[in-house]
Amino acid sequence: MASFLRHIASDRVRQWLPLATLILLIVIVGTLEPVFLQPATLLDLAGDTAVLFILASGVTFVIMLGGIDLSLQSMASLSSVIVALTLPRLGYAAFPAAIAAGALAGLLAGLAHTRLRIPSFIATLAMGGVLASTALVSSGERSITLGADDRGYLGWITGTLAGIPNVVIIGLVVLVVAHILQAHTRFGRYSAAIGAGEPATYASGVKVNRQKVIAFVLSGGFAALAGIILTGRLASGSPTLAAEMLLPAIAAVVVGGTAITGGVGSIWRTLVGALIISVVRIGMTFLGVNIFAQNIVFGAVLVLAVAITIDRSKIPIVK
Amino acid sequence: MSAPDAVLALVDVTKTFPGVKALKGVSIDVRPGEIVGLVGENGAGKSTLMKILSGVYQPDGGQIVVGDKPVRLTSAAEANALGIAMVFQEQSLLTNLTVGENVYLGNEAQFTRFGIVDWRRLYAAAARQLAKVALDVDPRNRAEDLDFASRQMVEIAKALTLEEVAGHLVILLDEPTSVLERAEIDVLFSRVRALKDRASFIFVSHRLDEVLELSDRVYVMKDGAVVAEMPAAEADIPKLHQAMVGRSLQAEYYRESLQRPPGTEIRLEARGLGLTGAYRDIDFTLRAGEILGIAGVIGSGREELTRTLAGFAPHDAGTLTVNGSPVRFANPAQAVDSGVGYIPRERRVEGLVLFLPVSANITLPDLGRLSRWGLIDGAEEKRIARDWVTRLKVRTPGIDALCLNLSGGNQQKVVLAKWLNAKARILILDHPTRGLDVGAKEEVYELVRTVSAEGVAVLLTSDTLEETIGLSHTVLVMRDGTITHRTDASPGHKPAQVDLIPHMV
Repeated sequence: MASFLRHIASDRVRQWLPLATLILLIVIVGTLEPVFLQPATLLDLAGDTAVLFILASGVTFVIMLGGIDLSLQSMASLSSVIVALTLPRLGYAAFPAAIAAGALAGLLAGLAHTRLRIPSFIATLAMGGVLASTALVSSGERSITLGADDRGYLGWITGTLAGIPNVVIIGLVVLVVAHILQAHTRFGRYSAAIGAGEPATYASGVKVNRQKVIAFVLSGGFAALAGIILTGRLASGSPTLAAEMLLPAIAAVVVGGTAITGGVGSIWRTLVGALIISVVRIGMTFLGVNIFAQNIVFGAVLVLAVAITIDRSKIPIVK
Repeated sequence: MSAPDAVLALVDVTKTFPGVKALKGVSIDVRPGEIVGLVGENGAGKSTLMKILSGVYQPDGGQIVVGDKPVRLTSAAEANALGIAMVFQEQSLLTNLTVGENVYLGNEAQFTRFGIVDWRRLYAAAARQLAKVALDVDPRNRAEDLDFASRQMVEIAKALTLEEVAGHLVILLDEPTSVLERAEIDVLFSRVRALKDRASFIFVSHRLDEVLELSDRVYVMKDGAVVAEMPAAEADIPKLHQAMVGRSLQAEYYRESLQRPPGTEIRLEARGLGLTGAYRDIDFTLRAGEILGIAGVIGSGREELTRTLAGFAPHDAGTLTVNGSPVRFANPAQAVDSGVGYIPRERRVEGLVLFLPVSANITLPDLGRLSRWGLIDGAEEKRIARDWVTRLKVRTPGIDALCLNLSGGNQQKVVLAKWLNAKARILILDHPTRGLDVGAKEEVYELVRTVSAEGVAVLLTSDTLEETIGLSHTVLVMRDGTITHRTDASPGHKPAQVDLIPHMV
């Protein structure tokens, strides 16, 4: 087993492994259940993947520079509560308000991480607790179904454009924006440099803490956007709306081939990872696996993916 | 080849790292109760040799013989089992544990029953070990409460626990005196001598006088080979030094014919500069095109001064001016903004992001110039990187190759390229040739001369006094945090090393 893992961990093979896995999974599920390959099912798949992909894109920025954001599912849930509560009064302004709240939470977590020098998993674990409770208290511990008037504001999420669900288009816009940030801006380059070698990046005059804070702000903002999309699709806000999404989101990033230790990765890999998670999920549904048992699979997949993507010869001690 | 009564012998050992032959057939033997000195400049191969003996590296060729059996040492535990113990250069005691816990760290099994450690027995045994090195401390004290000399003795006491399994020991002492005061060194030496009936020692040090004082026999290494071996009684410092350097000083080694008089423009000036606990009252001026060398031993404050100028340790007294404006660098970003480039001694940690390509490393400090509307101009980046790779003759498979895969000398060129690309007007060279072989060193010297002639001001601290003198226009000597001597070092007026040493120690 160990030698098998080492073989598939060699750089050349490893790079294409996620995409090969995705294609293989699609072929398997498509063979077992030909319905899966029909355009309608595939569009459903894309729509279902969008929320997961947006969550995963945000945390990709943080993982790239060697951190982690454990607050994202709480943030997405809180975002849905914010939208549901403020939509009657604010109208469309409820959406940017929710995203601003997400960015603010990311800012605070990022400042706690950099200024107080707290490990990011602690800072965001704590922030996640704060956000989850805020969502529970402000919603009165229940889900808030949107009235018919309010649903009028959700057309940009629930509608379709030329037969393509708007969520898929939103997902594509996020992909483009995130890809540009990641691959073509100084922020993206600095993030990769920090993840690959923070001391040298710092010594080169890069304002390392600033980049870290930006990554957490992006992660919080993207999580809030994911919460908004969820709200639109379900026409309700709930303090537990995005519960159980943390594991699949982080699994998507890592399954796609972004190293959990930072420095190596891309938004494209996260897209592939999110699609893998979605296909696995749909495949399990076809196979009749209990929906509540799915995180068992995702947990196992996460461990396996980390085992393959980390070159452990370069990491003598794992904490 | 090895002496018949040797307890430990290396026979024709070789070791190659990517781009550098670290050991080229080294043979050394150690006899019972003998203290063997091992000297050489940085990069001569001493550390590699120590790591091979302690099981960290495996040799590519040759043999290690313990007693009369060839052995393979693939881990520290195996070396220990054969009676070879390392007392590390960096103090390796865990300061949050007690002395006794440290002495038996990893060897608690003998005091353990059903998974429970019998601490009374462990501490009693630790006390006996401490008695062997005549160290009078309670083994229940925390290691952090001990002074450095006592910690060093604890490490030796720990090494001596191997006696029970391996009999006669060989203890490797790697720069054990570097953090010790003279009186502490005397204590350490007398204890080491007293242990000669239980163990042999290999003593590695930069301080030639100490090596001569303690050792019975001395090996001199240079460029990965043993170039001399002599009884300590027949050696003296000039003799050892001659063997270490391997030649009388050749002016051209440091490209002195390329050394130009400095300009008049003052780039960097310190007046009464101080940092509590590190250095104080530092005055100097650094002109365009000048190379200012700072000589001094560990603890002289020159390392901290270097860190201040690079932006890692802000000064708390006096003034520092760059091109006439007062500055105080709170972080490296501010130093970079002032036109300072730092070439660190830890090239692979602070110099380069090893897992990024050559091109990304070259542009890292100055990405802003490559950005339009917030987007990096990828084509321009590639052009710039290719340009620098050509100009500095960086030997790399391409600009997309990870820096990890380059040899030390080529990595150093990439570090230099990134600061030249960022148009740094002041370069802080912190041990710029550490770990490089001779050819790579000469290339670095040539580059330093070139950028200096173009008006870049250079501040240099170096591993060897020879390099400091050879490269610099002016040399400052530091001791105990202050400047004790300053001297002209322009071609034809280069001071001799012996003239500077009295100001250093």
